[in-house]
Amino acid sequence: MFLKIENLSIDLGEFKLEDASLSVEQGEYAVLIGPTGSGKSILLETIAGFYRPEHGSIKLKDKELTVLPPEKRNVSVVYQDYMLFPHMNVYDNIAYGIRKKRRSETDIEQSIEKVSNVLKIKHLLHRHPDTLSGGEQQRVAIARALVVEPELLLMDEPFSALDIKTREELRTLVKDAMNEYRTTVIHVTHDFEDVFALATQVAVLHEGKIIQVGTPEEVFSRPVSEFVADFVGTNALRCTIEKKEDSGCMLNCNGVKLWCADSGTEGDSVTVAIRPESIIISREMVHTSARNVLQGTVQSVVTRGHLTWVTVKVQNITLRVVITPNSAELLNIHEGVEVYLIFKASGVRMVR
Amino acid sequence: MQLKFRHFCIILSLIFTFSLIVAIASLFIVPSPSEIIDSMRSAEMIYSLKLTLITSSISTVIVIFTAIPMSYALSRYSFWGKSIVKSIIDLPMAFPELVLGLALLLLFGKTAIGSALSYVGINIVFTKLGIVVAQVFTALPFATRIAYTTFESINPRYELVSRTLGYGEFETFKNVTLPLAKDGILASTIITFARCVGAFGAVLILAGGSYMNTEVLPVTLYLNISYGNIGMAITSGIVLIIVSFIAIYAFEKLEGAKNVSKNRKPEHRFRRVQT
Repeated sequence: MFLKIENLSIDLGEFKLEDASLSVEQGEYAVLIGPTGSGKSILLETIAGFYRPEHGSIKLKDKELTVLPPEKRNVSVVYQDYMLFPHMNVYDNIAYGIRKKRRSETDIEQSIEKVSNVLKIKHLLHRHPDTLSGGEQQRVAIARALVVEPELLLMDEPFSALDIKTREELRTLVKDAMNEYRTTVIHVTHDFEDVFALATQVAVLHEGKIIQVGTPEEVFSRPVSEFVADFVGTNALRCTIEKKEDSGCMLNCNGVKLWCADSGTEGDSVTVAIRPESIIISREMVHTSARNVLQGTVQSVVTRGHLTWVTVKVQNITLRVVITPNSAELLNIHEGVEVYLIFKASGVRMVR
Repeated sequence: MQLKFRHFCIILSLIFTFSLIVAIASLFIVPSPSEIIDSMRSAEMIYSLKLTLITSSISTVIVIFTAIPMSYALSRYSFWGKSIVKSIIDLPMAFPELVLGLALLLLFGKTAIGSALSYVGINIVFTKLGIVVAQVFTALPFATRIAYTTFESINPRYELVSRTLGYGEFETFKNVTLPLAKDGILASTIITFARCVGAFGAVLILAGGSYMNTEVLPVTLYLNISYGNIGMAITSGIVLIIVSFIAIYAFEKLEGAKNVSKNRKPEHRFRRVQT
C-alpha cells in the first residue's frame, strides 16, 4: 500500500480525529468529504506534519512519516486561500521549493517552464500574487506544490473560494496536471462536483472517524449508514419488509409501498437509500417497466449550481429528486404541483 | 440647545487634546531661543544626549533580539509556563517604573546574583550598564507585545507551506515569517527606542542619575528642575518630545501600511436560488 494511515487519533479541542484509518494506492485521487467540523482539515494537516498525532501511524511507501518534520515528508499542501508568499512574485513562489532541492538555475527554469505550461500560468510568472484573480492564484499555488514532484499532494478545499465557472476550469486543469505528474492526491471538499469530476476514491468523515471508503459509485449508491446516506444527499427511509418475493421484496415506508430489488426477512426493519438522480419526475401518469410509481406534491424547488433539487411529499414521506434546471422549466415544476415519481425496484437499496 | 451625550463626548475629547497641545507648545514658547541654544551647547547637555543615544541604541538592539524570539514562542508554541510568561509581559504596563527600578536595584545590589556578577567584574548598580539594564526591562514588554500581535496576524499556514516545500523551522522563519513581519518589527523597534530614550524611573533608581556620569536626558530634565535651571530642563524636554514625535509618526506610518492579515477560512455554502 502506498499511503497507509492507521488508527490516527488527535484531539485539538474543537476538532479531533478518532482512530481514523485510510489507505490510498499510488496514483489514486482520493476525495475526503464530511460535514463542517468532521476533522477533514486536521487529517490533512496531520499527514502534512503540522500536528503530532496522539497515537496511530502514517506510512508512505512503507516509510514511517508520523515522527518526521514536514520538510522531510515530501508531501505538498494546497489551501483554499492559496497562501502564496506575498513578498515574492509568481516565479519565486513556484521556485521556492525547488531552490531548496536543486542547485542549477537552468534546471529550476526548466521545471517552472513545464509546470507553468501544464497549469497555463506562463503569462503570470512575473506578476505579484496580490494582482492575480482567485483562480490564477490557485493555479500558481498548485504549480508551487507540484513542481517539487511530491509523493503526495494534499488539497484543502482548493476550489471553495472560486466561482462556479472558474471551479470547472480548475478541475479540468487539475485533472490534466495529475495525469502529467502522476501524483497521488488527497483532496478535501464540500462540493460533490469535485467527487464526480476527479475522485477515484471517496472517504466520508464524521465526528473524526472515517466511516466509509470506496469508489464514488459505491459511496453514493450504497451508503453504509443513515448518516452517509443523508450526507451524500441520498434519500434514506426507514421501512419494514412487508412481503418477500423471488426478485426482492415489498416495503412499507411509513404507509407508502415501495418495491425493492434487494432481499430481506419479512417483518424486519430496514433503512433504504434511493439516489435522487435515479428518480424520474413526470407530470402525468406513465406506464413504464419501473415498478415504483408514486403520486406526490412538490414542496420545494432549489437550484444549486447546474442542478435542481425537488422535494416531493408522498403521503407521509418526502423524497428528494435531482433534475436539471432545464427539465424543471420544461415540466413547469414549482411548489404545489402534483407529480409522479418513477423509479426502478433496483434503485431502492437496502442500507445496513 | 440640549447637550446630548455625544456632544459631551466630543467636547471632552477636544478640550483634552487642546490642553495637551497648549502644554506642549508652552515648552517651545516659554524659553527664549538664545537660552535654548546655549543649553544645547552646554557640556552637560551634549554629554547627556550622547549617553542617551548610545544606551538607547544598545538597549534597543538587546530588546529586539529578545522580543522577537519571545513573541514568536508565545504566538506559535505551547509550552510549560507560557501563561506566566504572558502575564509577566503584561505586568509592566501597569507596574510603576520606580518600583521596577527598586526591584532591579535589590536584585543586583542585595542578592547572590548581584554579588556574583560584581565578583566577575560586572557592576550594574549606579553604572552606565545599569542604564541599559533599566531601559531593557522597561521597554521589553512593549516590544514583545507589538511583535506578538504581528506574529499573530500572520497565518501559520504560510509557514506550513514553506515547511512542506523542504525548509526547516529556522529557514522558514527567516524566509517567510520575518519578511512578512517586517513592518511590525520595525514599528516595535521604533517604540522600543522611544521607550528607552524616555525611560526615567527605573533608570534613576538603578543607575543613580549622577551628574555627567549616569545622566541621560530625562535625568537631565529632573536634575535641572531641582536646581531651578529651567532653560536646561526645557531644552531636554524639547529634545525628548522631538524623539517621541518622530517615533509616533513613524509608528503610525508603519501600522497603516500593515497589510498581511490572517486569512480566515470562510465556510463554503452552495448558492441558493429559490424558484
